[in-house]
Amino acid sequence: MSRARTRLARTVVHRVLVALLLVYLLAPFAWMLLYSLYPATALQTLTPDLDPSQIRLDSYAALLSDPSFLTPMANSAVVGLATTVLCMVLGSGCAYVIARYRFRGRSVLLLGMLTVQAVPVIVLAVPLFILLRAFGQYDTLLGLVITYTAFILPLVVWMMVGFFEELPPSLERAAVVDGCNRLQIMTRIAVPLAAPGLAAAAVLAFITAWSDFFLAKVLTITSATTLPVRTAAFQGLFAMDYTSAATAGVITAAPVLLLALVAQKWIIRGLVEGAVKG
Amino acid sequence: MATIELVGVQKDYGRGRKAVRAVHDLSYTIADGHFVSLLGPSGCGKSTTLNMIAGLEDITGGEILIDGARVDDLEPDKRDLAFVFQDYALYPHMDVRDNIGFGLRMRKVDKAETERRVVDAARRLDIEHVLGNRPRNLSGGQRQRVALARAIARRPKVFLFDEPLSNLDALLRDQTRSELKLLHAELGATSVYVTHDQEEAMTLSDRIVVMSRGKLEQYGTPYEIYHRPATTFVASFVGKPRMNLLPSARVERGRYAVGGSTFTVDVAGLDAEQVRLGLRPEECSLRRAADGEDASGEVKVVEPLGNVSDVTVDLGSALFVVRVPGFSELTVGDRVVLGAERATVHCFDPTSEERLTGADR
Repeated sequence: MSRARTRLARTVVHRVLVALLLVYLLAPFAWMLLYSLYPATALQTLTPDLDPSQIRLDSYAALLSDPSFLTPMANSAVVGLATTVLCMVLGSGCAYVIARYRFRGRSVLLLGMLTVQAVPVIVLAVPLFILLRAFGQYDTLLGLVITYTAFILPLVVWMMVGFFEELPPSLERAAVVDGCNRLQIMTRIAVPLAAPGLAAAAVLAFITAWSDFFLAKVLTITSATTLPVRTAAFQGLFAMDYTSAATAGVITAAPVLLLALVAQKWIIRGLVEGAVKG
Repeated sequence: MATIELVGVQKDYGRGRKAVRAVHDLSYTIADGHFVSLLGPSGCGKSTTLNMIAGLEDITGGEILIDGARVDDLEPDKRDLAFVFQDYALYPHMDVRDNIGFGLRMRKVDKAETERRVVDAARRLDIEHVLGNRPRNLSGGQRQRVALARAIARRPKVFLFDEPLSNLDALLRDQTRSELKLLHAELGATSVYVTHDQEEAMTLSDRIVVMSRGKLEQYGTPYEIYHRPATTFVASFVGKPRMNLLPSARVERGRYAVGGSTFTVDVAGLDAEQVRLGLRPEECSLRRAADGEDASGEVKVVEPLGNVSDVTVDLGSALFVVRVPGFSELTVGDRVVLGAERATVHCFDPTSEERLTGADR
């Protein structure tokens, strides 16, 4: 009896803690969502008026027809997608080789991939700025894509090695007997089978590139500005326009949240497995 | 149709001083259309040998020839062979039809011909109704059949099997085994079959290659392997229950005491002082000793199997198994007399472990 009661108490405490954590994590986002939907005047009182009839989508309409907002949004989309494609093409080839072939320096390479993740971005910001300017890629989309790829690729490779190592080697031997060369084994057998894992890696790459603020702030000024940088700019330009700032915040966060929800299971698996098997 | 020749084939893992020899100097010829089993315990090099024939592993020394042409430097797909894997290795992202046809598509066989061969292979193995299914929706037996169909559809010169039945349950294994034999009779293609199961090797094969620790122990027909084992290893590995193999000393000319006991057998034409004698349990006989009669030993264990019983007799210095018909009336502790009048006595050199010829009778 007492054991059952202990278990019940434990469950209750656990649930309460989870609920508190959720409130802590979700409250800012919920507040932002409310700000984007209600007039600021309705919320900036002691008793916020949350009458659904008050909901206005005007701020969304305004932002989504404003060229100074749409250009950064397009920039972010292009940079995010280009980075993802580049990471996937380079990363899958690299990860497949590391997963399937034994060569000198293999484990050093894998560990190196993880080690570079520990280098703080701020250390590299100024050198990157100088480097990109020297190559004429300051404030260009290409400059951003190259930079993001360099940062994200090691993580993507690390994840994908785990997924490729999971595939039974006999499948690839069967493919060899069936007449596949090494490239065909990868494209026709390994990649389709590792697809869920690769998709998760792609989502991770996209989210990272799409939501980066710091590097975009340092490496762009006007023409290649991305969504997070533009969203942050509301603070300075319209000191009181909480509604627009919140709306921009929701638009920036929405794709990330959606993708993270869809791929979370695989992202976690990829990171954990890479870590264990490496 | 194809003849496979192995000439001094060797396989080392690792290089230089750290190299470990996994396969030693294999030389034998697998005749056209024969079904040959590579039999041995795990780690004896049989799968490595099969992989070397397939080209999935490089050879370190020697030559492999198919129909007189050297193939050991060719890629696997250029050797015109099909491989059936232990875990079936079906492509999970393709349906059964695509799995069977994949090798043909990779070889640029035209679509109509591919479809014809896929359907033909599926019909032979009775899996036509699952052609549209993914492998994960099939039972173990069906997966096994798809793997076989994939090999058949290619119509290769040589079939290679790596323990293809070991993942099936006992009943299905026996059934598939006889179907495999029928299939070989129908297709007549040269087949090499790796197994650690002596029963599979005996029932399926035209010839058996017995291997142990990377070396060839014997290459012969199932009859030869069973009745004329070349080494003590073959003698003890093949046959169930295992052959009684005991060191025996000469007590008088042509007569040896088995395992240092009072049980003696006659071996004509043998002169050695010490030999290892082998006697198959099912060829020996057993009866209860009469009062006052000298017994060979005492019954230690009786294991009834239904149609036969295995009786283990303690000779004092060693154990000796005899297979007797039906349920034995003997009980533990009974004093018994062994007989080997009808038995073939296999004689082996105690140091080289090889069969002593001239002692056969």
